[in-house]
Amino acid sequence: MSTLILKNIHKSFGAVDIIRGVDLDIRSGEFVVFVGPSGCGKSTLLRMISGLETTSSGTISIRDRDVTHVPPAKRGIAMVFQSYALFPHMSVADNITFGLRLQHAGKEEIARKLTEIADILHLTPLLDRRPKQLSGGQRQRVAIGRAIVRNPAVFLFDEPLSNLDAELRVSMRVEIAKLHRRIGATMIYVTHDQTEAMTLADKIIVMRSGKIEQAGTPDALYADPDNLFVAGFIGSPRMNFLGGILEADGQVRLDCGATFRSGILPAPTTPSAPITLGIRPEHFTGTDEAGGTVDVRVDMVENLGGTRFVYGTLKSGQAVIVEDRSESALRDGASISAGFPARKALLFDAEGRRIRSSDTANAMAAQ
Amino acid sequence: MNDRYASATTSPSFNPWPAAIFVCLTVLAVLFLAPTIGVLLSSLKTTQDIALGKLWSLPTSLYLDNFATVLTNPAIHTYLLNTLLIAVPATAGSIALGILSGYVFAKLPFRGSDILFLAIVAGMFFPPQVILIPLFRLFNGLGLLDTLWPMIFVHIAMGIPICTLMMRNFFATVPAALREAAIIEGASEWQVLSKVALPLSLPALAVLSTLQFTWIWNDFLWPLIFTQSDDKRTIMLGLVFLQGQYSVAWGIQGALSLVASLPTLIVFLFFQRYFIKGMTMGAVKG
Amino acid sequence: MNLERDKTLWRLAMLIPPLAVFGVLVVWPLFSSFYYSFTNWNGFGANYRYVGLDNFLQIFDDPLFMRAIVNTVIWMLAAVILPTGLGLVLALLIDSQVPGASVFKSIFYLPICLSAIVVGQIWVWIYQPDWGLLNTAINLVTGGDSHFAWLAKPGTALYAVIAAWSWQQTGLAMVIFLAGLTAIPSDLVEVCHIEGASTGQRIRQVRPATVVVVALGVINSLKGFDVLYIMTGGGPFNTSDTLAMHMYNESFKKYHMGYGSAISVVLFLIALAIIFAYFRQLRKVDQIYE
Repeated sequence: MSTLILKNIHKSFGAVDIIRGVDLDIRSGEFVVFVGPSGCGKSTLLRMISGLETTSSGTISIRDRDVTHVPPAKRGIAMVFQSYALFPHMSVADNITFGLRLQHAGKEEIARKLTEIADILHLTPLLDRRPKQLSGGQRQRVAIGRAIVRNPAVFLFDEPLSNLDAELRVSMRVEIAKLHRRIGATMIYVTHDQTEAMTLADKIIVMRSGKIEQAGTPDALYADPDNLFVAGFIGSPRMNFLGGILEADGQVRLDCGATFRSGILPAPTTPSAPITLGIRPEHFTGTDEAGGTVDVRVDMVENLGGTRFVYGTLKSGQAVIVEDRSESALRDGASISAGFPARKALLFDAEGRRIRSSDTANAMAAQ
Repeated sequence: MNDRYASATTSPSFNPWPAAIFVCLTVLAVLFLAPTIGVLLSSLKTTQDIALGKLWSLPTSLYLDNFATVLTNPAIHTYLLNTLLIAVPATAGSIALGILSGYVFAKLPFRGSDILFLAIVAGMFFPPQVILIPLFRLFNGLGLLDTLWPMIFVHIAMGIPICTLMMRNFFATVPAALREAAIIEGASEWQVLSKVALPLSLPALAVLSTLQFTWIWNDFLWPLIFTQSDDKRTIMLGLVFLQGQYSVAWGIQGALSLVASLPTLIVFLFFQRYFIKGMTMGAVKG
Repeated sequence: MNLERDKTLWRLAMLIPPLAVFGVLVVWPLFSSFYYSFTNWNGFGANYRYVGLDNFLQIFDDPLFMRAIVNTVIWMLAAVILPTGLGLVLALLIDSQVPGASVFKSIFYLPICLSAIVVGQIWVWIYQPDWGLLNTAINLVTGGDSHFAWLAKPGTALYAVIAAWSWQQTGLAMVIFLAGLTAIPSDLVEVCHIEGASTGQRIRQVRPATVVVVALGVINSLKGFDVLYIMTGGGPFNTSDTLAMHMYNESFKKYHMGYGSAISVVLFLIALAIIFAYFRQLRKVDQIYE
């Protein structure tokens, strides 16, 4: 069953279009992450789902109910804010039960739900404290508790980890993942951090300039991106993009001189198409029969302990990053050969669109 | 610390002689306090002593008759009561209205709300003389002249600009996310105001209360215009009126001044912090 | 859109009470005053007539008005110089981390909590010819035996009142300057120099506060009525009248309410000019300090 359906959502603030046509279908229990650069509209989209922001056009349905014009409190959503937005003058218990008390729920019911939530989130010893007496991680749990107690159809998270330091961020990320596993609720999570997206999501929605660039599982977005933008956004360190030409026979000639057999045929009308080759730093594992090799002049080596990243330059002057797990000595200025297998090489056309082998076959058929 | 930086940067330090400054300030402080001390001293002296020029000598014995005269005068009780009956409701009323408008300007702005806000705040600045006559006619027509009501209403109205300014400035510091979180929990705007914003604003309310109470208690002009009979006078009006009755009884007048100032003096001493914060918060922020 | 409509309903519900009260008791009377200034109303009954600009023209024939406006301007100028200057000096002195700063602050600020009537009362005693502080001090210093009646002489009455008013106003100026001095300046370079800041830099830092102090001082001088009433009542022989006092006399002593309204309109226009200048200065200063 679809828990959340967005149809043709548009949003403008005055003359500025923030969301330019978004369609979304999210199933029950999915953990969906909206990710993208600043200004892509992911937070606006989240706020529209919450009801804090109105839509300029389009519909929002939650559990088959049209909630486009329904106030936030009645949509069946709950939200965890970036700043947690805990009420400073109330205790943890009062914060969590705020909504229930507003509805004049029975004392026993309130107490029961509170104990239940406090149990799940390990908040029982903290119930009488004020937010300012809590650590960042504890505050987040209170914010989550306040959300859970509403028993919502959809949980909304607005960059909840951005305010935390790096170490806490990792442990809280794990907490959130465990929470999802435990209560199995539908969750929508906004972040600009692609690592969070990759580790938490069942489905990632990559956004740019108010549109969805690609939606898919982390694996799909990682291994099979639809365009340059998604390919460059997902994965850290960033994928390398090398310029080159795709020749009629499927051979790719890179600007730096290297060649390899791509197995992808260009459209017959454009025999030598300029393309961009995308290859991730971690995929320079050595060439195979169809793969290629590039010569890299080492500029700098970042040693991370378990692995290291070589920052270098190709003959074409292009910068490149290579992950190197060998423990051979590397000196600045030295030259290394970095080989990669063909199947890890991704091709993108001049407009940044991904060229897949089936694409070219379809293109030929369309002629 | 000043000196260390002064020698390190070799720039002329403003304060090379802390001692000189201290002396300077002490002299000025004494001069500034002199008038107030004078009143205090005069209230503890007999009229005779003062007339003989012995005002500035320390009293040898505690002469409390002046205070006794003042505190047992039933007219003065009436004046004080009247002033209280005006100051308390008017303070509460103006603050309540300021809370409402301050919340809207801070949390629910709309097109043109900025200008409206400025227009209201500007109301703080113009001289009351310009509305004396129409208000006189209004309350005359309503038959409310020579009662306490005109003062209450006018002070509520005249307090709206400063109360709106302060509450709006305070509510602006409450994060928008707090309001949004409450809305998601099902709160109406009124509930956001009453259950979230207002409980957080107690310091601002303390500031406003001290300012408003002091201002209204000390007011002279409106009671002058709107009251006639002695039993409707406020304490400041009474002070002026009793000048005639007590004419050369300087000591009694001194005691009366102190008694009249007592509530605001107490408020000042205990809530000084809020006073100063209030004056500057409203003023410097414009 | 339920959400927007709800918001708007609450805007109305919360704004209407304060706006209604303010409108009925402040805004509408303001416009009424303009109306009355074109009539010859005497305060009683409803038989008065429209007299056009007569009231305003009468202003130029009214020697008391001329005197009042001169006095008002003098008071305004004094407000710019006296409490402003003294307040700045006090603020600079107190801000220099002298011990007991908070005690000093309280002492200079205390007069604010007193009523203008009490302030006037206190200074009446200071100016008392026979045993007042001023003459006592002067006689002590000069060895003379002056019984000069400061409040009874036309040449000194107004200035005596202004001095009393300044005594109270200085504390307010000082507090605002102190707030300006202790605020963190936006220019990061200045932060390094704060501890050993030169006088020039400090004075530049208080520029926004100065705008506020001057504006407040001038506006308060326009409003200064209570203290004048109790000290001289505008005398001797109307020589210390200000516009506010003259308006009161004409309206509530002589019941020339039409004429009184005209005077109050003049007073209002002066205040309006100051408010405009103030807001414009504020915006200018804000831009510099952004």
